Amino acid sequence: MSYEPTIIAFLCNWCSYTGADLAGTSRMKYASNINIIRVMCSGRIEPLFVLTAFREGADGVLICGCHPGDCHYHEGNYKCLRRYYFLKKYLTQMGMNTERMRLEWVSASEGKQFAELADDFTEKVRNLGPCKIKEAAETLT
Amino acid sequence: MEEIRIGVYICWCGTNISRMVDVEDVARELSEMPGVVISKDYKYMCSDPGQALIIKDIKEHKLNRVVVSACSPRIHELTFRKALENAGLNPYMFQMANIREQVSWVHDDREKATKKAKALVAAAINRVKWHESLDKRTVSINPSTLVIGGGIAGITAALELADTGSPVYLIEKTTELGGNMAKIDLTFPYLNSARQIIQEKIERTEHHPNIHIFKNTVVDEIFGYIGNFNSIIGQNGSEIDLKFGNIVVATGLKPFDPSGLENYGYGKFPDVITSLEFEKKLLSGNILTNEGKDPENVVIIHCVGSRNRSEHEYCSRTCCMTALKYANQLRSAIPDANIYQAYADMRAFGKGCEELYTSTSRKGIMFLMFDQQNDLPVIKKAEPGDSCNMLIEMNEKLSGEKIEIPADMVILMVGLEAHEDAKKISHTVGISLDGNSFFMEKHPKLDPVATTTSGVYVVGNCQAPKDIPDTITQAKAATARIMGTIKQGEVEVEVITAVVNEDICCGCQTCIQVCPYTAITYDVVKGVSVVNEAICKGCGTCGSACPTGAIRSRHFTDNQILSQIKGLLSKSLELKEV
Amino acid sequence: MAKKEKNKIKLAIYWGAACGGCCVSILDVHEKLFDIVAAADLVFWPIALDFKYKDVENMPDKDIDVTLFNGAVRNSENEHMANLLREKTKILVAYGSCSHLGGIPGLANFSNREEIFKRVYETTESTVNPEKITPQTKYKVAEGELSLPEFYNDVRTLDQVVDVDYFIPGCPPQSERLMEVFTAIVSGAELPPKGSVLGALDKSQCDECPREKSENKLIKEFKRPFEIEDDGKTCFLEQGVICMGPATRGGCGVRCIEGNAPCRGCYGPPTSVSDPGAKMMSAIATIIDENEPEAIEKVIDSIEDPAGTFYRFSVPSSIIRRNIETSEKKAEQAVV
Repeated sequence: MSYEPTIIAFLCNWCSYTGADLAGTSRMKYASNINIIRVMCSGRIEPLFVLTAFREGADGVLICGCHPGDCHYHEGNYKCLRRYYFLKKYLTQMGMNTERMRLEWVSASEGKQFAELADDFTEKVRNLGPCKIKEAAETLT
Repeated sequence: MEEIRIGVYICWCGTNISRMVDVEDVARELSEMPGVVISKDYKYMCSDPGQALIIKDIKEHKLNRVVVSACSPRIHELTFRKALENAGLNPYMFQMANIREQVSWVHDDREKATKKAKALVAAAINRVKWHESLDKRTVSINPSTLVIGGGIAGITAALELADTGSPVYLIEKTTELGGNMAKIDLTFPYLNSARQIIQEKIERTEHHPNIHIFKNTVVDEIFGYIGNFNSIIGQNGSEIDLKFGNIVVATGLKPFDPSGLENYGYGKFPDVITSLEFEKKLLSGNILTNEGKDPENVVIIHCVGSRNRSEHEYCSRTCCMTALKYANQLRSAIPDANIYQAYADMRAFGKGCEELYTSTSRKGIMFLMFDQQNDLPVIKKAEPGDSCNMLIEMNEKLSGEKIEIPADMVILMVGLEAHEDAKKISHTVGISLDGNSFFMEKHPKLDPVATTTSGVYVVGNCQAPKDIPDTITQAKAATARIMGTIKQGEVEVEVITAVVNEDICCGCQTCIQVCPYTAITYDVVKGVSVVNEAICKGCGTCGSACPTGAIRSRHFTDNQILSQIKGLLSKSLELKEV
Repeated sequence: MAKKEKNKIKLAIYWGAACGGCCVSILDVHEKLFDIVAAADLVFWPIALDFKYKDVENMPDKDIDVTLFNGAVRNSENEHMANLLREKTKILVAYGSCSHLGGIPGLANFSNREEIFKRVYETTESTVNPEKITPQTKYKVAEGELSLPEFYNDVRTLDQVVDVDYFIPGCPPQSERLMEVFTAIVSGAELPPKGSVLGALDKSQCDECPREKSENKLIKEFKRPFEIEDDGKTCFLEQGVICMGPATRGGCGVRCIEGNAPCRGCYGPPTSVSDPGAKMMSAIATIIDENEPEAIEKVIDSIEDPAGTFYRFSVPSSIIRRNIETSEKKAEQAVV
């Protein structure tokens, strides 16, 4: 059986989750590897969640929020952006290919963009192969 | 701690979910998860019997948590929370798994979709274990309303509210009320005078004791929340602090500028005019060409700037009927004129509209069809010997022939598009724009009047192009909603706020500048941060910035989200190995 | 314990992968050591008294009342002793940062055995080892077979190896706190629930920190302590220096900060935080005063070593636990 990545996507309620819903109401098809977890604002997404997702076996983590300047809560997405870059530097140090983690802005009207993003990211993560974080953390030698 | 007793319900949504997800298998497999007391599938969970099933089970099986796996929580989360409430359970002891919009409608492999649905439901079950009761909170409603935009939508809303005795602040950015409607002559389909309708309303608005009009004014910033907004308005050099409980956004649309469309020669040929310029001629009472003559040949070109990938993909909705209205007005004014309608599709839905089309088509009007996507008509200057001054080349779609139409006057039926300041307004009032820069309603079908920000309503063209009756309907619908809250005097507000655990908070003050609403202050005496829950909107950013774990983002706590992640992945990986 | 009220308790102290500082912190109780010896028989303490492992092996199970185990578990000897002492001890206490969170030895989880051996036995500037001799677990000599403990790839905390009753944090723990805990144990007082952190506060460092804190936390550039002219009064974070204080449990008496050095996090996270580095990274990232990706990255680049800064004492107990690249290499190595 070919390798199928498991991906966790954290989406803000107002833009990205609504955009993902729009992909649904528009019956756009995308990879079933993407599993969405909703938060009110991308400003709620923090390293703890992303690291836990990898540790629990996710092969990729997608983070989506409102476009810069469009945050429902004014600027939560900028805080998310800062944490994203911080995490990237940390995870690089921990030996992870940071292409497993991606942040994209998806507005409430961008159902099509979300579907395309889901497919594109899934493909990229599939090409990277399984993430070793869970295995490395659980098989201490 | 009380024993956790979860009820799990998997919705078929008719065939919407069950076609792609083996709902019975999902219900069966998840019944084995710890804490799950019952797990069922049902045709329509949101229906009355579906909700009754939940209520019955809560009582019979002493459930204290409920998971419904169905459509998007954005549609039915409130429905199910109400059901829990009706069964005597706190509405927040509920979690939804979205297996329609995010599973059955977007995947086409039934086995994979079913696995994903199981993982999402497992995540919801794991999460709901950490849910806690949240108490309702209400705020008082200031009876005043801010209406932004003084066109027919804003005026209608203002008058409706003012007539009930509630104060209205009406903000108009230009010097005059009336908006686009004041610029047109007759309305379709019954050819009544627009001016008569709007003039009477403008006068009533201007003299209404409950309406305070601010012309030549824009709103830069709005603070607060439903029931308790305020804004500082600059007026004649001084500043006025307005307080209001609700906001109606009625900022309208503007006509498309066809200058960029070379094939139509707008700006090059003086007798190529836009529909609004033609209205000006109608209002002035004479329809003359640039040279002051009666036009012998008038061509009305449809869909200018609309329904085309390179300009706007959407239909501007009002132009077809307006074009028919022009044909009627031209036929009456210049009985001998040759009148051509160059159209892409004739869209005549709505009361009286198809009838207008039928009656117009019997008045010697020539209807010619073109391909709006790939093959637009081209306007050329006529040769010196021709009897007209312009020629319109087009491939007539119905006959399949390439033809030339003589024209002395061309009316471009320009579409409607968002104002340049739409984005700024959306930020000021805290609502979203769609891809066409129209303001987004809370739900396109179930709530096309409210927005995702409580207390903010969108009416008229700023939400999407629409005709006058639809605009007025929406304006009146919004005011009915607002009057409801004013009458009740208070409204329930967000309970998903942040809260500081004073036993943990060390007073580092990292959170204070992080809050976009300045809802957090530092209590010097206690040495801890304090969240003002009336101001907090529950984004959770402070909770993620708190290094000590003292701030809890209610209903999105670390434990709730982490257990959701863990539940999802453990089920997902377990199924992968099968 | 009730039976033994009149008797002395049996106390053992052991070190795993440690620097010895924890044992010294016990000696640092100074004259109170006499109180300890008055209340407890020291049945095992290799750094101070001559005992053999066999002495411990010969003890009946649960014969030792309290063991203070300091140091991480880094080799087979550490692991063997952790298991043995668990068997022989009623109350096993992870004493100090290394056994609590992994500590400084835990930073080795950025690397692996192969890389560490190569560095230590080959490439260090002071090493001359042309034959590339590295320690072997077994070596035959004329007299028989010599053995050395096996060096593991991963450093582990004590509770990743055996069941731990309590934790006393610190690098090293403050001697005053040790005396408080010790006194509580010998007095027969009711102990907190198993798994608790003893000898520390519930709130984090800032609560005790005498420096002036304000809401002005936004950061344009991170600085290392020597790069600022510290006024001795203002919160380190507000001066652009990373201080782990907000995500670190109080109780040490803010010793580092009193010495004008920012907190490095040895006391570990408060109960409300599971992964102090993740929480602190989130907090620090949030207050970066930039919105554009390039500008944000530039600010982040001013932190030399985020993983080592935010997880200085807690890599093995962190969520990610180790570098996964070097982890993958260890698999190849196993094949060889």
